[in-house]
Amino acid sequence: MDFWTPFKLAFDLLLSSDTELMGIIGLSLKVSLTAVFISLVIGMPLGAILASKKFFGAPVLIVISNTFLSMPPVVVGLLIYILISRSGPLGWLEILYTPYAMILAQSILVVPMSIALSRQIFETLNNEYKPLFTSLGVNALRRIMVLVVDARIALITIGLACFGRAISEVGAVIIVGGNIRHSTRVMTTAIALETSKGELAIAMALGLVLLSIALLVNIASQFLRHYFKKAALDV
Amino acid sequence: MSDTIIIKAEALSIIKDGSVILNAVTTHILQGKITMLLGHNGAGKSLLLQALHGIIVPDSGVITAPPAHTQKMVFQKPILLRRSASRHFDFLCPDISQTEKMAWFERAGLIGQMDTPARQLSGGEQQKLAFIGALASKPDLLFLDEPSANLDFEASAKIESLISDAHKNGVTIIMTTHNIAQAHRLADHVLFIEHGKLIEDRNAKDFFANPLHDAAQAYIAHHHA
Repeated sequence: MDFWTPFKLAFDLLLSSDTELMGIIGLSLKVSLTAVFISLVIGMPLGAILASKKFFGAPVLIVISNTFLSMPPVVVGLLIYILISRSGPLGWLEILYTPYAMILAQSILVVPMSIALSRQIFETLNNEYKPLFTSLGVNALRRIMVLVVDARIALITIGLACFGRAISEVGAVIIVGGNIRHSTRVMTTAIALETSKGELAIAMALGLVLLSIALLVNIASQFLRHYFKKAALDV
Repeated sequence: MSDTIIIKAEALSIIKDGSVILNAVTTHILQGKITMLLGHNGAGKSLLLQALHGIIVPDSGVITAPPAHTQKMVFQKPILLRRSASRHFDFLCPDISQTEKMAWFERAGLIGQMDTPARQLSGGEQQKLAFIGALASKPDLLFLDEPSANLDFEASAKIESLISDAHKNGVTIIMTTHNIAQAHRLADHVLFIEHGKLIEDRNAKDFFANPLHDAAQAYIAHHHA
């Protein structure tokens, strides 16, 4: 294989607007962005609570969420598979080999990251604001709201990190999604398939497409950061 | 002016890492007066101020303050949220009307900076913002931790005029400063602290005319020089 072949293929693939490829890209984005959204909705408030409130069991929760950070995706995939397979406790949901199962798997993978990163950011911010909060007698809910609003720019970075983990993940989605053509095939599972078929150039080209998507998402987030900086809300 | 006691502190002690930072301080704060906490760096002034305000819990001792009183604190380095000056003010005083808010900004000379991010204001402007945020909610008690430290003459004068106005309106003020001239101009009462111990608790005129302890004399002489 010529070194430049994958690049040429990637370029051709993107220019051809191949329906199947577009479907795969669309599903990848849909699954990963939904998982990131879910993980932020769950992780950010939890991170804020862990950072701003001292309560019984908080250290245990921190240890558990940090442990889940190193959870191998295949293990998560396997656990979810057992849970949602026909004989599993959640079998009645009938979501195995559907995008919903993939979203569930990616969300479970990304929530600990969202908790851990947001807790760190909120902890720093809370330490700075704490004397003011205490002086004004601000209640816990208002504290969390202030922390979430004021950490908005750092939260974009968390969103990006979560997106990076979600979109590049293959182990869990291949187990619970099944890599079914036109149904649950995403970029990473397509790459795994092409590699196993020996189509290394196509696999590499798909990898480059995936990288391009990541680049576009990063550019978009830079624009957002630039907007906030321009509005001087990140001082 | 009345001599009603608004806060009573009995045997307050704070211990940090095995060292006694505040040593059995007993005093009281008189309503409507400006009480000045003086002492060298690390003497324990700011800790006493924060303990009296209630944001630090002393290791021992009792603070008695009527619960019905509203109190606000302005920190030496204002703690500002990452939002505009106007929205920061809204956070400090959520119940205030737009007209009143504009009047406060006008009074502080910050009307042109309402939309400026609070953390991008100059040091003096930040301090003024913190001040009007504290004063606008009409507190009975105002705690000020070196309110004009590191400010230029103009900003310092503006802060002092805001303190005087609040005092005239009956607000009880407890503040720390290293500016002896400012303490002289503003104080009704002085608490002088040395190594965590309250060694002078006197009327300001008497204190400045005739400090009883060597440490207080040296402090005044040093800061006058």
